[in-house]
Amino acid sequence: MGHTFLVFVASVITLTACSGSDTSSPTNSNGPEKTTLKVGVLPIPDSAPIQIAIDKGFFKQEGLSVQLSIEEGSAKALPKVVSGSLDVSLANYVSTFSLQQSGLGKFKIIADSFQAAPDTFVIMVGKDSPIKTPAGLAGKKIAVNTLNNVGTLAVTQTLKVSGVTVNPSQFAPMPLPDMAAALKNGTVDAAWMSEPFISINQKQGAQKLVDTMAGPTADFPVAGWGVSEDFAAKNPKTVAAFQRALAKAQQLASTDRKVVEAALPKYSKIDAATAAVITLGKYPTTLNEARLQRVADLMTELGYLKGHFDVKPLIATSAAAG
Amino acid sequence: MTISGTRVLRGAIGVAGLLVAAELALRAGHVTLLPLVSTVLARAAELTVDGEFLGAAASTLASWALGLALTVAVGIPIGLLLGAMPRVEAAVRPLIEFLRPIPSVALIPLAILVFAEQLHLRAAIIIYASCWPVLINTIYGLKDVDPVARETLRSFGFGPLAVLVRVSLPSAAPFIATGVRMAASVAIVLAVTVELVAGGTDGVGVYILKAGGGGRTDLMIAATVLTGLFGLLVNLALVAAERKVFRWRHAR
Repeated sequence: MGHTFLVFVASVITLTACSGSDTSSPTNSNGPEKTTLKVGVLPIPDSAPIQIAIDKGFFKQEGLSVQLSIEEGSAKALPKVVSGSLDVSLANYVSTFSLQQSGLGKFKIIADSFQAAPDTFVIMVGKDSPIKTPAGLAGKKIAVNTLNNVGTLAVTQTLKVSGVTVNPSQFAPMPLPDMAAALKNGTVDAAWMSEPFISINQKQGAQKLVDTMAGPTADFPVAGWGVSEDFAAKNPKTVAAFQRALAKAQQLASTDRKVVEAALPKYSKIDAATAAVITLGKYPTTLNEARLQRVADLMTELGYLKGHFDVKPLIATSAAAG
Repeated sequence: MTISGTRVLRGAIGVAGLLVAAELALRAGHVTLLPLVSTVLARAAELTVDGEFLGAAASTLASWALGLALTVAVGIPIGLLLGAMPRVEAAVRPLIEFLRPIPSVALIPLAILVFAEQLHLRAAIIIYASCWPVLINTIYGLKDVDPVARETLRSFGFGPLAVLVRVSLPSAAPFIATGVRMAASVAIVLAVTVELVAGGTDGVGVYILKAGGGGRTDLMIAATVLTGLFGLLVNLALVAAERKVFRWRHAR
């Protein structure tokens, strides 16, 4: 007992000593105010540009050092931006606008990251599913990764186009890796998936029923890079440096698929064979207010936001890139 | 020795039987979508020499050790105080019984907003969940002290501190040790859970998130299996330590 206790005490002391060495950054007059950034990413293709910017040395060229923190979802990562445990985070627009309106935090979007392309967010059904058309989903259980987010929004809008009104109780939230089994067992009748899960499930026999990013949701903006309003106000040079570095990566990602394929396995455990076949979304090179307003307007239309929501105050114009 | 040998053998047969049955069921196609047992075990073996996974494990181990150490450092003294002062204990008991069933996992979103430092967040959640067995066992251990022994020492003129050190603590120690052992297991569960829910720069839970994002079910399960094995080893080690330290208690 006494010995064990000593070991515990020793580990406490060691750990406390370790955590003391913090990431304070020396400020020089012209460089970025904060040089070491902790950036939240999700292990999905949306985050690829940040890995590319790290690998190609774009952050280093701007005097920034970036440490990635893997997040479970935007809804959990954005509160970390508020608390300061993350400086920047991948922020899906639906989460960001919802949290902003709820008053949980004040955010600034400093760059765009990912935009839907055909077949990047689809509703899948099992191999022998009797459901053959979107209209067949009336009253059926549909798996989504998170409630009240991009998935439920896209599914609701897509089915609305097919004349089906979705009841929120039809949605079953579950992690993406669990959806294959849920489809197979019949726990759900359909599942809203993104890549690489579309490709993986297709290989196991699941079928695409309908693309949820088509028609009114075609080219739908999905995620960007968010900071707190406070961070943006205190670190304008850091934000500008981040924007410049990321713009180069977005440019590469939007033109060279191989670069994205090489980046994916570094922050997710996707295997190279899967990375080579998945359908990629678009990596926009500019942050466009009109595009993002579209997201907010659809959210208002479907009751995700109360009344008109103006996205302009959330957009941090890229000073240097423009 | 022979009895424990037989027990170990029986346990091994049970585990091996289950694994073989699972492998056969998977190969026969009764259960699809899950990787084969043999695949998972091979991945788990690879992970034990994988630099990235070992780094993740070291991080989880650090938050586990810190969380458990603070649990012990806080839980035992408070338990001793409450155990020695029944009136105070009666006053705070409703509070304890209110806080105890609150799931730590439900507190994670709140804790994310409070703690800016990853290690602090993780340790706080671990401590919240694992302090209860230590606290409760310490209180009960102290209540269970033989009153005759205590009064005897008191009548010989020993002060309260001497009674605590010479009679109460040795008598309560086995209870406390059991509480610590239970806390060690709870702390492992929470160390990985908080990483899975709150994410972070490293940790086994973060590794599982990465594997999940890439659709690598085999790696997710392999990392989970290794976590379970670690928990098993910790429990075995603590049981062995209890047996050794409190030999007089187990001799009965």
